[in-house]
Amino acid sequence: MFKSIEDVEKQFAGEGYIADRTLATTVYLAIALGKPIFLEGEPGVGKTEVAKVMASIMNTELIRLQCYEGLDANTALYEWNYPRQMLELRLEEARGESKEDIGGNIFGPDFLLDRPLLKAIQYEGENPPVLLIDEVDRSDEEFEAFLLEVLSDFQITIPEIGTIKAKQIPFVVLTSNRTRELHDALKRRCLYLWIDYPTFEKEMDIVASRVPDVQDELARQICGFMQLLRSRDFYKKPGVAETIDWALALITMGSEDLDPAVVDATLGCILKYKEDIEKIQEDGIPQVIEKARMLRERMARQTAKA
Amino acid sequence: MLMNTKSGSMLNQVVGFSRALHRAGVEVNSGNVIDMCHCMGYIEVQNRPDFYAAARATLVSRFDDLEIFDTVFNSFWGMPMDTLEMDVPQEVDDADLMDMLEEGGEDPDSMQQEDDAAEGEGDSDEPGWSPDEMLLKKDLAAMSDKEIEQARKVIAEIVNIIANRRSRRRVPENRGAEIDFRRTWRKNAAMGPDGVELARRRRRIKKTKLMVLCDVSGSMDCYSRFMIQFIYAVKKEIPDVEVGVFSTRMTVISRLLKTKSVEESLREVADEVHDWAGGTDIGSCIRDFNEFFARDMLRSKTVMMIVSDGWDRGDTGLMRQEMERLRRRVHKLIWLNPLLGSPGYQPLCLGMKTALPYLDYFMAAHNLESLIELAKTLRSVWR
Repeated sequence: MFKSIEDVEKQFAGEGYIADRTLATTVYLAIALGKPIFLEGEPGVGKTEVAKVMASIMNTELIRLQCYEGLDANTALYEWNYPRQMLELRLEEARGESKEDIGGNIFGPDFLLDRPLLKAIQYEGENPPVLLIDEVDRSDEEFEAFLLEVLSDFQITIPEIGTIKAKQIPFVVLTSNRTRELHDALKRRCLYLWIDYPTFEKEMDIVASRVPDVQDELARQICGFMQLLRSRDFYKKPGVAETIDWALALITMGSEDLDPAVVDATLGCILKYKEDIEKIQEDGIPQVIEKARMLRERMARQTAKA
Repeated sequence: MLMNTKSGSMLNQVVGFSRALHRAGVEVNSGNVIDMCHCMGYIEVQNRPDFYAAARATLVSRFDDLEIFDTVFNSFWGMPMDTLEMDVPQEVDDADLMDMLEEGGEDPDSMQQEDDAAEGEGDSDEPGWSPDEMLLKKDLAAMSDKEIEQARKVIAEIVNIIANRRSRRRVPENRGAEIDFRRTWRKNAAMGPDGVELARRRRRIKKTKLMVLCDVSGSMDCYSRFMIQFIYAVKKEIPDVEVGVFSTRMTVISRLLKTKSVEESLREVADEVHDWAGGTDIGSCIRDFNEFFARDMLRSKTVMMIVSDGWDRGDTGLMRQEMERLRRRVHKLIWLNPLLGSPGYQPLCLGMKTALPYLDYFMAAHNLESLIELAKTLRSVWR
């Protein structure tokens, strides 16, 4: 699918995702070795997006499993279609089938409801599917045990039917916000990738690619502002998703550069907690904008030197 | 690409590298190394960024290890890639690496300790003091062995109430409160519409994670006996309880407690922390906790118990901010204040006043009666 690591970078860029070399190498290796990728990083750095982009590059379906506490086998793997089984029994009875035959077929594949993991294993499309197991740190330890069989052998064992093996190995992406440590056995089966907040240059590229309408100078101001915010002590630091939202909001409002009034009106795009907003307002928005400008100039000088 | 004749030495290098990582504290197993070797078939080994990415993806699986990995990587593969194929005696590399690790690992720590020591000396002159101190001291000192035994029982009960919470998962139970539709269908599939028998289920009991932070500053000195008993009792009920002690600096002693008794652990920490029984800076201690320990130790359902009198000499703004953060990260926040039991006590001291809005429960813990009262309250309100 990918000819080289450069090819990964190029195809990701084609989908509007600016991938750095480390990410591209890891994706390339995950495909080559047929291993799942385990993505960690702060919220809003584009973890889920990797899976979406992969699905679009591979021209296949994205099968998503959102994890939560209490997620169990019946929601993640499969469930028997009980009402349908009951109906089948009634029908067989009405047809007057013999006692021995009744109910012999109700634990077959026809009566199985597939949930995301089984769906990914049984997928019959032309290309292997992309299986996204999102925010796996939200699930509990029991769930990790279900995942182990699926991710190591790409098979699911259903006691009534037997073991179902994957026809083609899905491309699996696990994401975690690192609210808890996952079991080693699970992590061992994956390639690990930590996605950091982007550098100024990378964020510029991202904004240019995702919000093409934005003027160069405004983009530079936005990214500089975000870099400054991330260096500060906020309860929830803004991610790339916030940068893109903000850029879109500013364009919609027709602003050409960051002035304090506009920033104040759109703070809700970048800071999502009341305390964080109060904190930046206390510091004074004009002062923060000024600091961001100085930071940007310093960075520009450094790049020029390099 | 590598020449075949030299690939043996490359393998040696990779194994040596994984050993170096292991020694530096990164958990690497042979499966990871085999993956790494597989990867080398797909990348240009001489391309340093790619080699780095491959090694990082296969040999590391925790964020906390990334920094160590980078250090070890740079020192191990520090030379230009094209000289790699020469046979470098491995022992030399490892020895260098060990030197580097030892230097890098110890220096900042010992410096920090010196800093803290200096800070501690300055603080110890003026510990927090309360007029009620003498009275309460008598209360606790008068505790006989029998009473201590009783107190332990009460604490065990309190912990028991906190520890068992209802999970979202269900388990079958004949007289459970909910109807289990899945099992009802299954059970009755054979019988048909006549005589439906309901299967029932209930919510499973799940052990809560408990984190206890104990104030060991000067003003709390007289409760140290109580504190030790408290930690003992909690530990007996919940063996994997996390325990931290703080005065002007936060120390987590859970690991020490695994191998040593409570008294020994506290003594060991006391040797290390020079301002033991000195002043208190609750705000910055909680900030340290939020910054360095919270991520590893807190789960969304952790119950946090702080045992402190709330005498604080630090910055109230900082304390407010950090209490608020802490509040978000834990399921319930309980503050046990030994002073609360004394007649006429009002939480007037600044530290306590600041913390008050963020607490779920603010309770006395100075003698047996107060503990029994605490157990009663919890039993009626906890769910």
